[in-house]
Amino acid sequence: MTEWHVDDELATRYSGGALGGTAAASVEAHLLACERCRGSVATAVPEERLRKMWGEIAEAVDAPVPGPFERLLRLVGINEPTARLLAAAYSLRLPWLAANAVALLFAVLAAGIDDRWGLLWFLAVAPVLPVAGVALAFGRGADPAYEIGLAAPYSAFRLMLARAAAVLVTSAGPAFAAGFALLGRDWAVVAWLLPALALTALTLVLSSRFEPAPSGAVLSLLWLAGVAAFAVRDEPLAMFGTAGQVTALTVVLVSAALLFLRRDRYQSEDSR
Amino acid sequence: MNTVVVTNVVKSYGRHRALDGLSFTAGPGVTGLLGPNGAGKTTLIRMLATVLAADSGTLRLLGRDPSAERLQIRRRLGYLPQEPGFHRAFTVFEFVDYVAILKEIVDRRARHDEVRRVIAEVGLAEVSGKRIRALSGGMRRRVGIAQALLGEPELVLLDEPTAGLDPEQRLRFRELISRIGENRTVVLSTHQTEDVAALCGRVVVFDGGRCMFEGTPEELRRVAEGQVWLSAERSGVLSWRTGEGLFRNIGQAPDAARLAEPTIEDGYLLLLGDAAVGVRS
Repeated sequence: MTEWHVDDELATRYSGGALGGTAAASVEAHLLACERCRGSVATAVPEERLRKMWGEIAEAVDAPVPGPFERLLRLVGINEPTARLLAAAYSLRLPWLAANAVALLFAVLAAGIDDRWGLLWFLAVAPVLPVAGVALAFGRGADPAYEIGLAAPYSAFRLMLARAAAVLVTSAGPAFAAGFALLGRDWAVVAWLLPALALTALTLVLSSRFEPAPSGAVLSLLWLAGVAAFAVRDEPLAMFGTAGQVTALTVVLVSAALLFLRRDRYQSEDSR
Repeated sequence: MNTVVVTNVVKSYGRHRALDGLSFTAGPGVTGLLGPNGAGKTTLIRMLATVLAADSGTLRLLGRDPSAERLQIRRRLGYLPQEPGFHRAFTVFEFVDYVAILKEIVDRRARHDEVRRVIAEVGLAEVSGKRIRALSGGMRRRVGIAQALLGEPELVLLDEPTAGLDPEQRLRFRELISRIGENRTVVLSTHQTEDVAALCGRVVVFDGGRCMFEGTPEELRRVAEGQVWLSAERSGVLSWRTGEGLFRNIGQAPDAARLAEPTIEDGYLLLLGDAAVGVRS
């Protein structure tokens, strides 16, 4: 065994982080074999530095590993706390996003097979997907920690809007892309957008009084029934014409105003 | 100063009055809300957590009015609901971290330090990386308490924290809650008189949404002084056979009975009267 040992001055410089790479590596190699020097270095480490190092180790071990969607949100510039809150929603996780994509794919394929009825199928289904996603993004039935969250200072209204926006982007984005890529650049492929916004906004408005999931389900059924009713009268695209778009836009604007006026109702359960 | 002041509070659901002119106060230490199922305990705790508002009456929480200063109260509040939901795919750390964000602890490093602190405080440091779905019921309840302690709240509300726990877990919980109550106000609801005896400096007994008693556990015990009897025969409705083969009767003295030392449970049952028959059975 070597006769060389880490003296007090070296121990202080090493434990204070003042030694260069090679010298520090030599000290470390020696410490592995020498109990006496381990003892002298241990007592020389400043408490603050020790606490910081333990903190870094604990952080590396404990810190949650973000999932793929959370990483994507961070990539597009969403801050870490908001990304975590968004990614916890069921309809912003991979299984839901995959199911959403599959439903959309079938709708687009149907539209490609038959121009008129296929397009109707696509336009009818596309608005339902964001509504379903939004309905499953918040509320007592969809968020297991809803009650805890309601009593926390973070605004429940803000969380609802943030998740609704994220769902709209993740649903509408692929629908836009699929529509343009597979169905051409006809205006008709985006005719679902205003109805989607209207149904989503209505779901949010109703959520101040009812659970979002049943509200979304009822609105979706009403929407599909309306589309089917016009289809039976041999006017399959009537809901997507000018009158339909103006109606949808009106619903969006009125709903936005109602959301703003009733924003405080989402912070507790008093209105339910 | 009292952290919680409830005055003449009424809360109705349709025709059912869950709270019917309830008044009580709670200060530092552990205060127990004791009552049978349906007494209105959860409604009251949710009201104290600012999740519900009163139809009438006044509440002062941490010196503030919850109808006007809800956010300020929520920043100083910890709350464990009766049935806390968990994102079961989350690990313990991830879940508590998620709630820490909802509690506006934004800085990542400070938040993680706080998460580690509360997880260690409830004794879950060794399972902080485990998924919540893999934990026992008692451990999940401790995760619930950990999130309630985030940010060192001055008022901690625990709704039936010991319900469904086995005796050993209950003992550990009592130790934990009494420690939490050393430097803050804890209000817990329970229908277990043992919890009150073991934990609470003050107890509020209520039934049918009304306060029937407010005082110390010892004062609750003394409510039944001179009214608990041991006899060979059953007498009255509040009567049951003990392990010694004698009947313990509360209320009027039966024939050939001897007076017995009352317990907190006796005082509680005497206060509840007819409602106690359901509690006892």
